[in-house]
Amino acid sequence: MKEMLKLTLTLTLICLIAGGLLAGVDALTRDRIAEVNIQRRQKALEAVLPGTNQYDNIPMQEAVTVRHQERDWTFYTARKAGVFAGAAVETGSPNGYGGNIRLMFGFDAQGKSIGIAILEQKETPGLGANIDTPGFRDRLAGQDLQQTNWRVKKDGGDIDHITAATISSRAVTDAVREALEAYLANREAIENGGN
Amino acid sequence: MRFWKELVKGLWKENPIFRLVLGMCPTLAVTTSLENALGMGVAATFVLICSNMVISAIRGVVPSKVRIPCYIVVIATFVTLVDLVMNAYAPELHASLGLFIPLIVVNCIILGRAEGFACKHSVLLSAADGIGMGLGFTLSLSILGICRELLGAGTITIWKGLPQLQIPGVTPISLMILAPGGFIALGSLLALMNHYQASVARRKGQTIPTPVNLDCRHCVICKWGQ
Repeated sequence: MKEMLKLTLTLTLICLIAGGLLAGVDALTRDRIAEVNIQRRQKALEAVLPGTNQYDNIPMQEAVTVRHQERDWTFYTARKAGVFAGAAVETGSPNGYGGNIRLMFGFDAQGKSIGIAILEQKETPGLGANIDTPGFRDRLAGQDLQQTNWRVKKDGGDIDHITAATISSRAVTDAVREALEAYLANREAIENGGN
Repeated sequence: MRFWKELVKGLWKENPIFRLVLGMCPTLAVTTSLENALGMGVAATFVLICSNMVISAIRGVVPSKVRIPCYIVVIATFVTLVDLVMNAYAPELHASLGLFIPLIVVNCIILGRAEGFACKHSVLLSAADGIGMGLGFTLSLSILGICRELLGAGTITIWKGLPQLQIPGVTPISLMILAPGGFIALGSLLALMNHYQASVARRKGQTIPTPVNLDCRHCVICKWGQ
């Protein structure tokens, strides 16, 4: 009985100390982690929106959420003097080679794509991870949103996939296409700010 | 000096990967590039040193019946600390290692050193053991990472911010950065190390030093194994 008490107390004490320590560090790092996440998103937004001279609002604060195909899509809209200049949308696909891929896709008011910024991917380094290299990102840039067939060439589309990384390329391209479908279906709401 | 001896043994004589053959899961998983290998090595070294010291410090208090749960709580605490701090102050590294950090909890090297060394030695010696084992782990991971990245992608990336070295004249063999490449690289390096040790010992006319807790007496493939 005495031994059991000792075992329990020791383990409880150690867990309490560990718990306290973790709570402290969590409190110290929480704000910083939240800030880092915002910065990451901000950087991705800047990479896929039109040049900063083409809008004067803060896209992060002018998000329009629409519902399409049973999914919520958040479009961060860039405006100059209130006129729609372009937008970025966070999209993703669970069909990457290593699981989830999340990315930011941006386009301008003229209906041309500006590009993608990968937020999260676990693809094979050297193969699928090349979706996050300029070589692949450029293939999605400057394309017409409606004329381009947003599928990889292997699926009969216009997007040249990375050799030996068709699955990763397809996941990215499909994620972009789904976001575009959401945009085209809700174009007015997004461009007018959803009011 | 005892401190020095415990530190150095992790680098070669009791190298955790090539001699003790511990922690194979993270070894095979993260060595696809030098950068990942270094990040994993540094994170694991930090956890190893801290957990070794704490476990050594509480070795007189913890009853042996509940020592394993206690060790795991200590290790898991440090891993979570590393995870939070890295997320806050090295987000780039955290993004590429995120998946592997929780895996450090079950890294056999850390629990192995706690059970095999720290719970029997003083705090100072346990710290030395942690530093040595951690450095040995980092070094071995880096060697594997260099081999695999060079052969598999034709590049060497030391850190994300630094320019990536493109090695001319290397045709990348994608296999090397996929799972089988990990086994091939690890096996080849292990064989090379064993061959080197065996031939050094033979030249000196000594018997082959058998790996700690392992031996190859039952194996007849290598003529020096007898």
